[in-house]
Amino acid sequence: MKNNMVKKVLSVGLAAVMALSLSACGSSSSATTAVGTTAAAETTAAGSSESSASTEASGEMKKIGMIQFTTVPSLDNCYTGFLQGLEAEGFVEGQNITIDFQNANAEPSTADTEAQTMAQKKYDLIGAIATPAAMSAYGACKADGIPVVFTAVSDPVAAQLVESLDKSGTICAGSSDQLPIEAQLKLIRAFLPDAKKIGILYTTSEPNSITDLEIIKELAPKYDFEIVDQGVTNASEVVSGAQTLVSKGVDCFTNFTDNNVVNNLPSVLQAATQAGIPVFGSEEGQVYDGCLASISIDYVALGKETGIIAGKILKGELKPEESAIYTSNEGSPFINTEVAESLNLEIPADYQDGTMVTTGSNK
Amino acid sequence: MDNFVSFEHVSKIFNAGSINQNVIFSDFNLSISKGSFVSVVGSNGSGKTTMLNLLCGSLPVDTGMIKVGGTDVTKLKEHQRSAFLGRVYQDPSAGTCPNLTILENMALADNKGKSYFLQRGVNRKRINDFKEKLSLLKMGLEDKLEQRVSTLSGGQRQALALLIAAETDLDLLILDEHTAALDPNSAATVMELTKRVVEEKHVTTLMVTHNLKFAADYGDRLFMMHRGNIVYDISGETKKQVSIRDLTDKFDEISIEDGN
Amino acid sequence: MQIFLGLLEVVLREGFIYGIMAMGVYITYKVLNFPDLSVDGTFPLGCCLAAELITKGMNPWISCLICLAAGGAAGALTGVLHVKLRITDLMSGILVMTALYSVNMVVTEKKAILSIFNMPTIFNSGIGGKLYGMFGQWGWAVMAGIVCLAVKLILDMYLETRSGLLLRAAGNNPKFVVSIGKDPGNMKILGLMIGNALTALSGCVLAQQRESADAGSGTGMVVMSLAAVIIGSAVLGKAKYIRSTTTAVIGMIVYRACLTIAMQLGLETIYLKALMSILFVIALISSRYNDERRKKNG
Repeated sequence: MKNNMVKKVLSVGLAAVMALSLSACGSSSSATTAVGTTAAAETTAAGSSESSASTEASGEMKKIGMIQFTTVPSLDNCYTGFLQGLEAEGFVEGQNITIDFQNANAEPSTADTEAQTMAQKKYDLIGAIATPAAMSAYGACKADGIPVVFTAVSDPVAAQLVESLDKSGTICAGSSDQLPIEAQLKLIRAFLPDAKKIGILYTTSEPNSITDLEIIKELAPKYDFEIVDQGVTNASEVVSGAQTLVSKGVDCFTNFTDNNVVNNLPSVLQAATQAGIPVFGSEEGQVYDGCLASISIDYVALGKETGIIAGKILKGELKPEESAIYTSNEGSPFINTEVAESLNLEIPADYQDGTMVTTGSNK
Repeated sequence: MDNFVSFEHVSKIFNAGSINQNVIFSDFNLSISKGSFVSVVGSNGSGKTTMLNLLCGSLPVDTGMIKVGGTDVTKLKEHQRSAFLGRVYQDPSAGTCPNLTILENMALADNKGKSYFLQRGVNRKRINDFKEKLSLLKMGLEDKLEQRVSTLSGGQRQALALLIAAETDLDLLILDEHTAALDPNSAATVMELTKRVVEEKHVTTLMVTHNLKFAADYGDRLFMMHRGNIVYDISGETKKQVSIRDLTDKFDEISIEDGN
Repeated sequence: MQIFLGLLEVVLREGFIYGIMAMGVYITYKVLNFPDLSVDGTFPLGCCLAAELITKGMNPWISCLICLAAGGAAGALTGVLHVKLRITDLMSGILVMTALYSVNMVVTEKKAILSIFNMPTIFNSGIGGKLYGMFGQWGWAVMAGIVCLAVKLILDMYLETRSGLLLRAAGNNPKFVVSIGKDPGNMKILGLMIGNALTALSGCVLAQQRESADAGSGTGMVVMSLAAVIIGSAVLGKAKYIRSTTTAVIGMIVYRACLTIAMQLGLETIYLKALMSILFVIALISSRYNDERRKKNG
């Protein structure tokens, strides 16, 4: 008896969910028709991106889907910038565009479902933040030709999102965020003219770190540096990893955007402070947290440029296939004067115009 | 006396070296002749079940040797020993697969000793044989071939387990308190079935039981275990004439020695 | 309506693709009673290996077979760790899952993401290409359905063989397997091989459909498959004449449908996990009632 009850409750519940979903789909599809039959025609036309800049005149709502792969400060900044960029092109959420923002919780399968759903709804454009989100979006939109505008993708060519940085050649457009490693090396050399060894702590399971390590190893000799690297596998190993590097006589540390190491930055800083050597960060946030300096990509600015690209595509001024990929500039220097002082380091002449901060001054 | 089954200087200690060290056997010796039906009784912790576990290979011996049919089986793994022995457990669900049907259970056991690859699991030609065997149980199981074993009663399952254990040729049948979990009627039915199987197959049988009546009524030899030793061993005419009363007296005697 | 049909296709397509994995997890979790966590590593192994092989010009169908074999090898490793080296079931799974991350990195030559956009896959070449030509988007669901059905039929047939019966027995009552002279440990290894082979195949098919592989795509796969298996058996209960393999696939489709529906209702993805846990609990409770009823009747 009891069991039958449960079954009934379950089936009624499921039926209710199904019915709700149907009505939800119904309402959303009726909403599409309510916007006018022109909307349907418009979407198909937009698909071939031959509709001219009549959008603003008609004043209809454009629909954008946004997929952010996971929640970390740099990606959040990308989204903030993206909205600013759209606004600069005259698109304001709620006025002439609707934005369906989805976070994939760092799961590619969730990103897939979100992208597939957006593609089925024939959105005018899909924005994707971080590589996995871009992959899902491109995979889902490829057949329908819905433009994908990505950002925070470090190597869009290797990811086959675009054919080249100069000319996309696909439905994708957007921006790349390769870490400015060479500029970082220049910065370190300027601060520490006599330094020989740079210590790098990275997490073996973070692919970006492995790529970055290869790049920095290739570039280091050019600036007369030797890279001493130490891989760790989890948070608990960061402390001993940092100590190991200190004992190998490194002259400083430099970070990648390695989530594990950055999250355990205090351990690294402590080891470095005891040894009297500086730590160079990979993002401005780390400089506020006690790193000496960093060449930082401004993710809000990167997002804004991406938003502008998206706006131009929506207006029909830019075709994704012909677009060039915006690459973050060399990044700008952030310097913690307090840390420099405690280490008795002069701020190099070339970096005097950098952003000067003190520990915790961003809070 | 031919030693079909023999334990030679077997010792077994649980948790050796710890506070809970428990010496079950030190220099345990036993021999059982071929074709005999032995009942084993004894209080809890006397080592009855451990003896069966050592014999079947569920537990390794610490020192000593176990032989069956003259061959040393001490080093053989449990599943390898299954080639010549069949075991029925106290738990009615242990001797069969509850989630498989009666037919699937019988088919699996029917192939004992053969290879298990991609042949058809159930050989349809054998169904009549299976039905015939099941009908001997007089439980109507022959009409329930496609039913899961989990739907059967404890007595039915145990009868089926016995049938399955004895389905192929075997040298040794181990009955591990196999009626203990059953109601008195089912227990009696299963015991009758046991007797029939043992007589038909002339298989050497070792039956551990708490039921002194069964111990007295069935089998041609009986021994009582206490603290890892055989303290009472009767066979032949003495066994035939033994009564439950004799056994309970013997039990009391041991308990008094224990100070209980 | 068009949107609804489109979403239905997505749900079915993903349901079929992940359903292959659900059948694999059905073997380990339901048949063998083994909570196999290595699935989180074998799924991306399938994804990455497929992408790498296709990049190297391997035929997509042969890639599927190689992925099956690679997944089987990973499963064998979990099994050997557990059965032969006596490491607990959970720990064996975790160890293999962790080790597979390195393996996947080697497979992808240290790339976290591999693209195979516009390269031949089972979805855009051969039969798949024809299906797409005929049915458009629905061609994908049909193709995924064909692969899933083929796996299901083969698995059903296998479970009826002697080896299959023995596998079911090994999960249900290892003592019984011992009593018929076989080593249940070996059957456990075999079952884990099948489960992980199917998981890798599922990853392989997914990578071919989305035309890219992500080394991080294993996160949440164990939970998703378990949910599918449990939801399947809760929804379909003891419906006779529906095989458990079908139940697992239907469970996966229901799971994907719930997910999509939740998103359609505007539920933010951060709440999805909670929703899934609730679904999980409902499914678990209702299947427990099923069990209890069975016991009462038994």
